[in-house]
Amino acid sequence: MTDLMPPKNPQWWKRSDVKKTFILWIICTAVIGYVGVEFHVRNLVDPASETMSSIISLMRMFTWAAAPVAGLVTAMSLTVLTSKRHYGDNPPAEADHEIRNSPKAAAVWIVISGLLCLFALIGGLVVLEQENEGVLNTQAIQVDVTGQQWLWNFDYANGARSEDLYLPVNKPVVFHITSVDVKHSFWVVQMGIKMDANPGYTTETAVTPNKIGVFDVRCAELCGLLHAYMQTKVHIVSQADYDAWLSAHAAMEAGA
Amino acid sequence: MTTLTQHTSAAPGKSIIEKLNVFTALALGVISAIVVWRLSLALLPQDSEEVRLFSREDKITLLSMCAWFIGFMTGIGALVGPMRWVMGKDLSHDENMFLAGENMGPKRYLRYTTDHKVVGIQYLFITILIFFLGGGLAMLIRTNLGTPEGGWLHAQAYNSIVGTHGILMIVGTIIMVTGPFGNFIMPIMIGARDMAFPRLNALSFWLIVAAAVPLIWGQFIGGITTGWSAYNPLAGQAPLGMDGYIMYICIFAISTMVAGANITTTVVKMRAKGMTWNRTPIFIYGVVASVALALPAFPVFFLSQILSAFDRALDTSFYNTAGGGSGWLYENLFWIMGHPEVYVILIPAVAALMEMAPVFTRRPLFSFNIAVLGIAGISGLSVLVWAHHMYISGWAPLLNAPFMLTTELISIPTGMLFLVLIGTLWRGRIWMTMPLMSIFALLWNFMIGGVTGIYLSDVPADAFLHGSMYVTAHFHYTLMGAGLTGALAALVYWFPKMTGRMFDKTLSWIAFWMVQIGFNVAFVGMFMVGLAGQPRRVESYAPTFSTANLVTTIGAYTIMIGMLVLLHGVITSARNGVKAPKNPWQAKTLEWTVDYPIPLENFDVLPVVTTDPYGYGKAKS
Ligand code: HEM
Ligand SMILES: [Cu+2]
Ligand SMILES: [Cu+2]
Repeated sequence: MTDLMPPKNPQWWKRSDVKKTFILWIICTAVIGYVGVEFHVRNLVDPASETMSSIISLMRMFTWAAAPVAGLVTAMSLTVLTSKRHYGDNPPAEADHEIRNSPKAAAVWIVISGLLCLFALIGGLVVLEQENEGVLNTQAIQVDVTGQQWLWNFDYANGARSEDLYLPVNKPVVFHITSVDVKHSFWVVQMGIKMDANPGYTTETAVTPNKIGVFDVRCAELCGLLHAYMQTKVHIVSQADYDAWLSAHAAMEAGA
Repeated sequence: MTTLTQHTSAAPGKSIIEKLNVFTALALGVISAIVVWRLSLALLPQDSEEVRLFSREDKITLLSMCAWFIGFMTGIGALVGPMRWVMGKDLSHDENMFLAGENMGPKRYLRYTTDHKVVGIQYLFITILIFFLGGGLAMLIRTNLGTPEGGWLHAQAYNSIVGTHGILMIVGTIIMVTGPFGNFIMPIMIGARDMAFPRLNALSFWLIVAAAVPLIWGQFIGGITTGWSAYNPLAGQAPLGMDGYIMYICIFAISTMVAGANITTTVVKMRAKGMTWNRTPIFIYGVVASVALALPAFPVFFLSQILSAFDRALDTSFYNTAGGGSGWLYENLFWIMGHPEVYVILIPAVAALMEMAPVFTRRPLFSFNIAVLGIAGISGLSVLVWAHHMYISGWAPLLNAPFMLTTELISIPTGMLFLVLIGTLWRGRIWMTMPLMSIFALLWNFMIGGVTGIYLSDVPADAFLHGSMYVTAHFHYTLMGAGLTGALAALVYWFPKMTGRMFDKTLSWIAFWMVQIGFNVAFVGMFMVGLAGQPRRVESYAPTFSTANLVTTIGAYTIMIGMLVLLHGVITSARNGVKAPKNPWQAKTLEWTVDYPIPLENFDVLPVVTTDPYGYGKAKS
């Protein structure tokens, strides 16, 4: 904003439109940042895992990082829109200047966008790194997830098989995901994980549920006629309940 | 059939060129399709036990569609020139003049006409038609989603409507600026008499018409049930309608390549004397960047669909893991095209607004060099980011970090486009017109589209957002909120040059506000359901999503009314709008120096350019 002034004028900051923009900038940044964050946080599902919580804080962080830039564009637009407007079928008089560029403004702009980029990148990489480690955890509960048109099957190490997912709270889980027909996408909504189920391949993702309750599993990749109905529930229960459920189901499979 | 006989019998003495038009093309296309259909039905062997079900039907369908295509292109006259050349006698001057369509009245719009202005109007017409059809389908989608429990549409019909809407709109937005304005305005703007290859120009347009029919045909043989991205292996098991999609894409890809070669050559070789690159209007850069980006992208699209056709009809397994292929191959090919393609759409629309910004603020374009750099930077980077659409496909988790880097880097050149626009508005003399307000609308919408793009480019956040309505809202903000907004402004801005009449001011304002408000209502609602966990491409949803979905549906109806007002404006203004002066906006680019109606070769004396077209400001007025 600043350097769009004629370079000859040393006191560009005293101009009324600059002052007005500056005030608007503060206001717009605050409003956009606040509304943007609230919009996301309120509409987002309640987190049921650390992964989801960190996604929410990433979004909060990114929104605040983007707010000053968005605020500046909005503030300058508002200043321009509230300045003298010309209506009518013939053009207004030409502007009182013929500024064609401002290397300083451009440089500032580019450096700032570069820094924001770097910031977003680092923020993402840190969280990504934590998640990648989860998949390698051999101590975790291992569940095989198989998508098929149009339901999910979950296989546990002890032979239990179910169309609902049962997991104990606060225990890391690794999912090994595949499909028997077309591509599906395994989305545990409140836990912030998603991984495609590809026929012929096995993919992995990991999470540690941290809340007892019933949450949603939905398919996130169009997989044909009943894609919309390819949903199930994940029940997060205490360790004792989980053990009971697991052995009952294993016995059921064995008996069947 | 009848049309064909009428036309051939009507004028015995005419040369072949004069007999051909869209009716002979339709007739020949339909006849060829029927003949080949009957023949292949009779001659193709039955599927054996080992061969996948339906592949015989796929062969028959694809062959008939190819026959339609060849018949139509022959019937429109696309082959006359090349055939003559092969026989060693080129077209005579009279024939070339006839092809250019001079003094032929409205009939030339129904022919293989080479005048770039005719092609521009033809493109405008077909763009409007595509948006009309695609918009109608969108209203069906939104009506169905007005209530949670899956509405009155059958699930297969719903899926097919979603896919058809998507691919229609993608094609519509690809051609919406470079088609009408790139053809009609661009050559005049650079001071040329026509395009470099006028016959290729006609070819690129009629290919789009030829492509449309398989898509419509596909609707009656099972539809396009895969979404616009037509992922395999789902596309492999989809009904025969999929073959319509494949043909549509292949023909459209040829059209895009032809147009790209033509437009690029025209701009490089035919700019007026004195129009150095520094004096070339920014809109021209936008058009060239768009088609130059499409040039490498669309052959990949073409190829991806050819392989898809092989898998369906010849039982190959390019995309079938059991047979040694991979669905990930398809995804890669698709997005290697798909991401550049979104900038094919966006860049010319933004460039058009950059062209208008100095006109409606009466000051020079701010930082022409940064504008060029931004366009170039986006074009360059956009071929390196495709795998951000595959973060969670499991294809190559280790590549997620590098693709996150390239994707986030794109926001730097994108920011440059913002700088140029806002810098030009700043301290300008604001002339309140619909195109001027469209710049503000673009800044707002594209800001939301861009920032949400950053969330999506972040791998952990995308693990939540991918495949949800949030993505749908993101790309509508960019494609429609930014892209279409620019194209509509371009329509109002260049309307006087293309029709000789001004676009009705009141109608343009009503349409603008209805579309923009409706748009923001509709897609904010869509962001909300995405964040709450609604997947995209679903025909029913959990009741918790119903309020926001209803909001989106209401927004969608508002957009529809706005668009109908705009269409009404186009028709009434073109018919009996106020006669436009030569240069109603007092702009300084060359297209405003020619009178309406524009003579066949635009300029009697070719112009010589001595400055760039942005010399507004105090010294001049
Ligand atoms: C400004 C920077 C942008 C960034 C960082 C960005 C980022 C992304 C990302 C990461 C995705 C993948 C989301 C997912 O499927 O999980 C995406 C999807 C998409 N974006 Fe953007 N985008 C940007 C601008 C644009 C623009 C300008 C357009 C079009 C004019 C566009 C159109 C699309 C489309 C069509 C899709 C989704 C395709 C589909 O899955 O059907 N984006 N974008
Ligand atoms: Cu699905
Ligand atoms: Cu992309």
